[in-house]
Amino acid sequence: MKKEDTVKLISAEGMEFVIDKEAAMVSQTIRNMLTSPGGFAEAEHGEVTFPEISAVILEKICQYFYWSLQYSRGKETDELFSFIIRMVFLSGRSTYVVRVLALCCIA
Amino acid sequence: MSNQKKRNFQIEAFKHRVVVDPKYAEKTWSVLEHAIHEIYNHNASGLSFEELYRNAYNMVLHKFGEKLYSGLVTTMTAHLKEISKSIEAAQGGLFLEELNRKWNDHNKALQMIRDILMYMDRTYIPNAHKTPVHELGLNLWRDNVIHSSKIQSRLLSMLLELVHKERTGEVIDRGLMRNIIKMLMDLGSSVYQEDFEKPFLEVSAEFYMGESQKFIECCDCGDYLKKAEIRLNEEIERVTHYLDVKSEVKITNVVEKEMIASHMMRLVHMENSGLVNMLLDDKYEDLGRMYNLFRRVPNGLSTIRDVMTSHLREIGKQLVTDAEKLKDPVEFVQRLLDEKDKYDNIISQAFCNDKTFQNALNSSFEYFINLNNRSPEFISLFVDDKLRKGLKGVSEEEVEIILDKVMMLFRYLQEKDVFEKYYKQHLAKRLLSGKTVSDDAERSLIVKLKTECGYQFTSKLEGMFTDMKTSQDTMQGFYSSHLELTDGPTLVVQVLTTGSWPTQPSITCNLPAEMSALCEKFRSYYLGTHTGRRLSWQTNMGTADIKATFGKGQKHELNVSTYQMCVLMLFNNADRLSYKEIEQATGIPASDLKRCLQSMACVKGKNVLRKEPMSKDIGEEDALLVNDKFTSKFYKVKIGTVVAQKETEPEKLETRQRVEEDRKPQIEAAIVRIMKSRRVLDHNNIIAEVTKQLQSRFLANPTEIKKRIESLIERDFLERDNNDRKLYRYLA
Repeated sequence: MKKEDTVKLISAEGMEFVIDKEAAMVSQTIRNMLTSPGGFAEAEHGEVTFPEISAVILEKICQYFYWSLQYSRGKETDELFSFIIRMVFLSGRSTYVVRVLALCCIA
Repeated sequence: MSNQKKRNFQIEAFKHRVVVDPKYAEKTWSVLEHAIHEIYNHNASGLSFEELYRNAYNMVLHKFGEKLYSGLVTTMTAHLKEISKSIEAAQGGLFLEELNRKWNDHNKALQMIRDILMYMDRTYIPNAHKTPVHELGLNLWRDNVIHSSKIQSRLLSMLLELVHKERTGEVIDRGLMRNIIKMLMDLGSSVYQEDFEKPFLEVSAEFYMGESQKFIECCDCGDYLKKAEIRLNEEIERVTHYLDVKSEVKITNVVEKEMIASHMMRLVHMENSGLVNMLLDDKYEDLGRMYNLFRRVPNGLSTIRDVMTSHLREIGKQLVTDAEKLKDPVEFVQRLLDEKDKYDNIISQAFCNDKTFQNALNSSFEYFINLNNRSPEFISLFVDDKLRKGLKGVSEEEVEIILDKVMMLFRYLQEKDVFEKYYKQHLAKRLLSGKTVSDDAERSLIVKLKTECGYQFTSKLEGMFTDMKTSQDTMQGFYSSHLELTDGPTLVVQVLTTGSWPTQPSITCNLPAEMSALCEKFRSYYLGTHTGRRLSWQTNMGTADIKATFGKGQKHELNVSTYQMCVLMLFNNADRLSYKEIEQATGIPASDLKRCLQSMACVKGKNVLRKEPMSKDIGEEDALLVNDKFTSKFYKVKIGTVVAQKETEPEKLETRQRVEEDRKPQIEAAIVRIMKSRRVLDHNNIIAEVTKQLQSRFLANPTEIKKRIESLIERDFLERDNNDRKLYRYLA
């Protein structure tokens, strides 16, 4: 992956996830962050820090991005539902899940 | 996690943290407020989007959306007021540039702010029914900047000034105009309309009113229209470059109204350059321009059409009633055709083949052609002239074209039955004297007439052609069965069926002995093969070719009429004959005899006879001799052919009378037909129906129809109703 095509997502613990820009842009918020005029720090350096999101969650989020790209045209609502359930189960904390989904502007 | 494996899975409702810290909201808000300031001061590069987003998110989440929103409004308003002051301070031309720049800045800032406050935009705002951030930003800009007292009027007057400059020929910064106008459009269509479009249209109307007044005083019609067209195109171009597309219709309406509609009548009737002059001079370009401009305004085209129609009718009427022009029928018809061609061209080249104009043209022609009741006769004479000699050497397509044009004129005639009568007469003369240039052309015209008027019209005409053909066959049969006659004079007989040919009184004369014997032989031959028929010789319509030897031995072949032949043959047995002797010997009626002697004795170049005394007219006491001194350049001399000519007054009256007579049974037949199907009908309706039925042949006169009805009542075809005098009943 070329450097220009990627962004770095940094979790609360400092774990860094380097993913394609296209995947990151699935989240409307991240998209705004990176394309907003006026040069916010994130767009300048190509990295976004999430001080309140743990690495485990962030990892699931990145997986979601790639899954969404793959099924972007699909009506695979069953898949989506089971994916969310898996995420909830994994984190054990539904609160985080909902907040993260809000971040991704799905909920 | 593993001890929970056996538990049933439940999704809990989301419970948010309850905030204890009252200053939490204040702290969070001040962070955001600071960020907004930085954004407006072009200092945003140090900020972290994620932090700001998270702060806004938390505020909304913890039910502080109200505070966030009102804080936003206050902060933004404050900034906009500052911006407003800096724009007001700009001098002269820089005003618009400054406004444009600040607008761009504001838009960028607005977008950044909206991005960080997106969560509020999506959740708090719809719930609380507040204006979304982007729209809020536009509204605040509109209220604090555009509608601020010092800026509003200045902005409008600057914009209008620039437009005026461009109209007077200066070059302006179109890009800047476009941006400013787009700003107004983005703020809402009502802003664009109220703050710019309405005043723009008013000012434009004034401008064009003045301009059109100035032009119309000093320009002629063609120039004025050119200028109007230029201005119109200019405005359309202006709209595409920097105005809202919806303004195009409105501004073009203004131009059309001021420059065209208000001066329409004056333009059309302008002396020396108005519509009539353009028509006379075939100014296609100017006419086309007028058409395109006038079709944009109400009543534009109908004005042009009306003026054209009345002009046409005027010219037509002059043409048709001018005694000079009526002397030569062929000229007359040719002029009609030329006029039609001219206007056809105008309509196709300048008026886009507009059907309504074509209709106006047709109705005008119909009007004035029928003003002169000799038109049918003249048209027939025109055709006669063409078919005799006018079409010699003309290609087949051109023949078709000419005949089609004649048909066009024919369609305009109201009295088609008069035409039919004349055409029959002229055709008979053509056929019998063998003078038609092209058989194909004749037949082609018959076919066209048939298509136009139906079989009935042309059945007799076709009968005439058939007779000619049959006669040829008959003559062949005659000579092949009478081989002993091949040495004597050659007889060519045309056997005419009485019904098909124009009725002629049958006059006989005394034929010379050689001929009468031959004629008798033919008569018995014919009646032998066709029993039950009667033949009568039409000696007034025949021709003869005679070989003559004159005093000095000069030989000539003379082509003469039958009457003339009878007279000349008498001189084989006598040198000198008196008028009375000739009259008695030949039995030719007096007027015809005088005419025929005149053409042989008094016409230069054809004077095979000499008359004593040498006066111009034939007197009863005159004597005639052979002119031994007769000379001619040609061996074959033609004397006195029977040519179709314009009728003399008495002939004309006679023909018209016959036509009227023929119409009577046609009217009666129409009445009976109608009554038979309707059974009962009132007077006015009968008149209307009969007129409609006979329309294709002639225009029926209501008085005449009334007379026919009376006649039919007398003959018990119809009866009047006992109670209602106006009602008629059909009697079976």
